[in-house]
Amino acid sequence: MKKILVADDEMSIRLLYSEELKEEGYEVYLASNGKEALEIVDKIPLDLVILDIKMPEMDGIEALRQIKERKPNLPVLLSTAYGEYKQDFATWASDEYLVKSSDLEDLRATVKRYLKD
Amino acid sequence: MASERDNLLTQMVEVITSTISFGERLSNLVHLLGRYLKVDLALYFGLDKTKEILTLQISSKGAIPPHLRLEFHRGQGVVGEVAQTRKPKVVYRRQEGVLALNAPLEKIHPAFNTLGAFPVADDNFLYGVLLLVDREERSFSSPERHMVHLACLMLAGTVRQALLQEEAKKRIAELSVLFEVGKALSSTVELDELLERVVSTTAKVINARGAALQIIDRITGEIRVSSQYGQIPTMHAPNLAETPQRFQMAEVPFLEGQTRDSEGRVHYHLIVPLTFKGQLQGTLCVFDKRTPNGDYQEFDPENRQLLFTMAGLIVNALENALTYQQVETLAERNERMVRNLTALQEISRAMLTTVQEDRLLEIILQGLVQERGLGFDRAVVLMVDEPLQLLRGVKGALRPRPAEPLPLSEALLLPLDNELNVSDWQIPLRPDLGALPLAALQMRPYHIHQREPETLATLDKIFDAQEFFVVPLVVKDRVTGVIVVDNQASARPLEAEPLHALQMLATQAALVLENAHLYTTIEANNRELMLIRERMLESDRLAALSSLASGMAHEIRNPLVSIGGFARRIAKLVDKDSPLRGYVEVIQEEVSRLEKLLREILDFTGENLSYFGDHNLEELIEDTLLLVQRDLEASHIKVVKELGELPRLHCDDRQIKQVFYNLFQNARQAMPNGGTLTIKTYPVEKEDGLYAAAAIADTGGGIPLEVLHNIFNPFFSTKDYGTGLGLSIAQRIVSRHYGQIEVKNELGKGVTFIVTLPVAKYCLVKDADRGTAAASAINVQSGGRR
Repeated sequence: MKKILVADDEMSIRLLYSEELKEEGYEVYLASNGKEALEIVDKIPLDLVILDIKMPEMDGIEALRQIKERKPNLPVLLSTAYGEYKQDFATWASDEYLVKSSDLEDLRATVKRYLKD
Repeated sequence: MASERDNLLTQMVEVITSTISFGERLSNLVHLLGRYLKVDLALYFGLDKTKEILTLQISSKGAIPPHLRLEFHRGQGVVGEVAQTRKPKVVYRRQEGVLALNAPLEKIHPAFNTLGAFPVADDNFLYGVLLLVDREERSFSSPERHMVHLACLMLAGTVRQALLQEEAKKRIAELSVLFEVGKALSSTVELDELLERVVSTTAKVINARGAALQIIDRITGEIRVSSQYGQIPTMHAPNLAETPQRFQMAEVPFLEGQTRDSEGRVHYHLIVPLTFKGQLQGTLCVFDKRTPNGDYQEFDPENRQLLFTMAGLIVNALENALTYQQVETLAERNERMVRNLTALQEISRAMLTTVQEDRLLEIILQGLVQERGLGFDRAVVLMVDEPLQLLRGVKGALRPRPAEPLPLSEALLLPLDNELNVSDWQIPLRPDLGALPLAALQMRPYHIHQREPETLATLDKIFDAQEFFVVPLVVKDRVTGVIVVDNQASARPLEAEPLHALQMLATQAALVLENAHLYTTIEANNRELMLIRERMLESDRLAALSSLASGMAHEIRNPLVSIGGFARRIAKLVDKDSPLRGYVEVIQEEVSRLEKLLREILDFTGENLSYFGDHNLEELIEDTLLLVQRDLEASHIKVVKELGELPRLHCDDRQIKQVFYNLFQNARQAMPNGGTLTIKTYPVEKEDGLYAAAAIADTGGGIPLEVLHNIFNPFFSTKDYGTGLGLSIAQRIVSRHYGQIEVKNELGKGVTFIVTLPVAKYCLVKDADRGTAAASAINVQSGGRR
């Protein structure tokens, strides 16, 4: 079973994403900030990480940098309420950039694309 | 006898007291005496003015035919002898020598034997000789001699009276002439008129055929015939011109002489100097005194005397007139200068009242054309158009129609009601196009008196003046325009004073116009700054609103995603027929609507702004090079550019610059000890269209093979510093632009990164429209490399 980490400070989002992804048949790990996310990345051999950008303690950009440093081949998706980060060079290191939407079709499709084999 | 004598005396007294003319009185006296003495002839010889010649004037036999006009010189014959001795003498033919000495008398009386000569004289003067001639040899008794003596006294008295009367008449005539001349001289101070009168009066008084007055010009010293009357023989002209020098050199009191013309006729001239305060001022000349029968004769001493008297009068009047004329000329000139200076001052003052370029032009033009200004018929200001290199008419004015002229200070402030439309006056700044461009090019005024026909072509339809004056407007060694004026409409010549004033005005006009221009520019800049400031404030407000809106949007988006997301989840769980299904759908739809609204707000606030536009690859590279130039120099890296002209790209310039920035920094870091950075651009044709390529090559030795496959990975870096994102960012940007980055690695030499970006198809079309660029586009399409 593919292992996905969802890092978001909003409990409701974490819950929504985990319900949605579990339904798709993935094993879902949750973190409420970058630090927690990194701890999980270090412990568990993940297949995909979904990071929110704006989080307390450590934000998604820093978490992305550190994850890519440690595991350059682990795909990281940025999922955020902020569209303007699209223009930010710092976010270009991510494999995909998604703007949050209540329609989770986009998210499901993208995750599937990265974890198809 | 006694009664006969009484009778004679009575008759003689009656004759000399009668009113008949002096000539008749003399002839009657001679006749009476001859009859009383019963001699064949009684003759009267009058002494002429030279007192040398005795001429037969009266005969007791009546009128003397011309061939019998006898003359005796003093001392010649008995007549001459008596004239000398003043004592009566009677001689006879038989006496020795008498016939020989008095032979001429045979013409009048061939058989004379007795000649009795008696002096006609009073106590002082001898007037003539009375000669009694008879064929008999006879003597004169004492009573007869006494009677002759009485008759001679009467003759003398009559002649003296006649002479006195003649003299008196002459004096009166002379006085009246002098009176006329004096009146003429004092009646006018107009020099030309005065001289005319002097010359004509002189000629008339002396009865000369011609007269001329020469004046020596005080300033130039030249002699000019200032006035002449009647006819002056042409061969006198050279003499006339020389006379002043002859007076100065020889110090002769006057010049008198005669010349013969080509037909052999003799002409006479008399010239006297006009001297004032010892200085020769000119000459007064008369020619050919006329006799009553139309012959010419010499001038006599009386004429000379009269001429001198007149010269004295003339010289004074002339002096007065000349002085007056000079004073008047000076006064007139002064007045003109004062008027012009006053006008200039008024114009200067008026120019200070405004900084509006257009108003200033109106003031300057009014000053030039107003009656009380400089009074030109037409004035036009042309300004230099720097980019097009031509003079362009800005404003022109015509002299207002004659009306009561306004004071200049008022006229200057009026709007131009006499404006001349000069908007189509355009003259290229070329020296072969006449004085207008020349004045601007050479920065000096031109006064054209007679325009050259070839320069007419440039402006002849609008500017037809034959005489005009053009002055450049110069500020700090730079020509800003020209002012041109003329008096074509009234056909007056252009005078020196107003032109001089115009030159002074031009200096100031150039300065105030320049200032006004600068002021206008500053004002425009200020307005623009104001606008920018307003826009900035506006955009600040927008930015604040945008940041507020986007903050709120983000806060709302998370809960919306949860609500919507869970609603969708609920919808999946609810039965198709359940009434809940409808409710959940309402929630989903409403959330979708809100999310759409959020996107719109964020679009509006600029979150999703795109920076795409048409850009030149070369320019993007040059701009980026500027950013790293200092770093490259510090690392001793030489930059070699081979930038070809390429069709433009449709791209986000900031992002593409980021690509090149990263590549340049990469290259610099690969060459810490210096080297060469080579940048080439060229077109590449691929199956799906045209691409623009940029190759960036360093001489940093290349990338070790073991790391080569990692270079585009994020956070991969061989260096101790940096994020390791440089190349990965570059690659992402390029791929988002549908382009590619390739690496050519030559170990031991260096690395070449080749960025290939697609040329927007519509850019090719757009460039083709621009003509010149079309060639490059076609070259590029055919694979040509420039």
